[in-house]
Amino acid sequence: MRLLQTIYDWFDQRYEITPLLEENVTKKKVPRTLGWAACFGGLSLLVFLVQVFTGMLLLMYYKPDPAEAWDAVTFIKSNVPMGWLVQRIHAVGANLMIALVFMHMARIAYYKIYRSPRELHWVSGVLLLMITLGLAFTGYLLPWTQLSYWGAKVGTEIPSAVPVIGEEIERWIRRGESISGETLGFFFAMHIWILPGTISALMGAHFLMIRRTGISRPL
Amino acid sequence: MSDESAKHGGRRTFCKLCIGGLAAASAGMVAYPVASFLGRPIRVGSNKPLEIPLDALAEGQAQYVEFRGAQMIVLATHEGPRVLSASCPHLGCNVQWDAADAVFRCPCHGAVFTQTGQIISGPVSAPLKAIPFEIKDGKIVVT
Repeated sequence: MRLLQTIYDWFDQRYEITPLLEENVTKKKVPRTLGWAACFGGLSLLVFLVQVFTGMLLLMYYKPDPAEAWDAVTFIKSNVPMGWLVQRIHAVGANLMIALVFMHMARIAYYKIYRSPRELHWVSGVLLLMITLGLAFTGYLLPWTQLSYWGAKVGTEIPSAVPVIGEEIERWIRRGESISGETLGFFFAMHIWILPGTISALMGAHFLMIRRTGISRPL
Repeated sequence: MSDESAKHGGRRTFCKLCIGGLAAASAGMVAYPVASFLGRPIRVGSNKPLEIPLDALAEGQAQYVEFRGAQMIVLATHEGPRVLSASCPHLGCNVQWDAADAVFRCPCHGAVFTQTGQIISGPVSAPLKAIPFEIKDGKIVVT
């Protein structure tokens, strides 16, 4: 304990960690009227971080190839120690994150927190919702099961209802006429790099906006 | 701090211990599965003997099975069942069964073996390694 204190003091002298922690965590002033419902945004972030971490673990064994994807996921679930748990947390966490994001939005909408000066908080939030749904949709294909395959088939058919360019959008998402290995590769790239990268940047912007305007105080 | 704890009847210390304990338990609940996950995957049945029912064998067909990290070939020949190592004695490539000619061919340097593993041609100095086995209850058993 004494040793930990010495190490902490060494850093504290140089980087002044204590005032930073007091200001942002331990002695942060929060409106008294704020209830538990104000936690949904933060909980969405927490679940997102869990998803990033479990996703990294799953990536050690996953193979984005139609011939190997299903076997790789089965291998994770039955042969990797605690693999079943990590895979389940990642799958259930996806549902949980969507649920939390919607609960967060419901509270913002109910208390009309989207009004001036917080309009762009809402706009960036809706973009974050879109990316969250995109992450869930692309991740659903990766285990390459019957459910995944048909889910992706129906899901990619939806944009074809758009007049004129709809069918072109469908072919663009599918990387061709049908769900194939190329679709899997595209969804995989989207799921592990492109969408997480975009959502992280946008989350940063979302949080900075909240910092600038301050949290909305209920009456 | 110790004076203060005494003044408050040790309640503060008790709360700190509880919170610390809960934090440690939570950290352990995360650390244990993660540490396990980072360990070696379990190869199911790696300690069990290899068992192939005799009636699953057909003459002129070679079955490839993985056993103890190596490829094995199980086949029925006119001299009875055989278990061979699939590893070519030349440089260790896995020999492939050529059903049309009933021979094994090595894809790397073209060695050819009979179905009992004897050399026909190629840059090899030894036949395919025969794996000892016994027949128990109508099954080929390799231990």
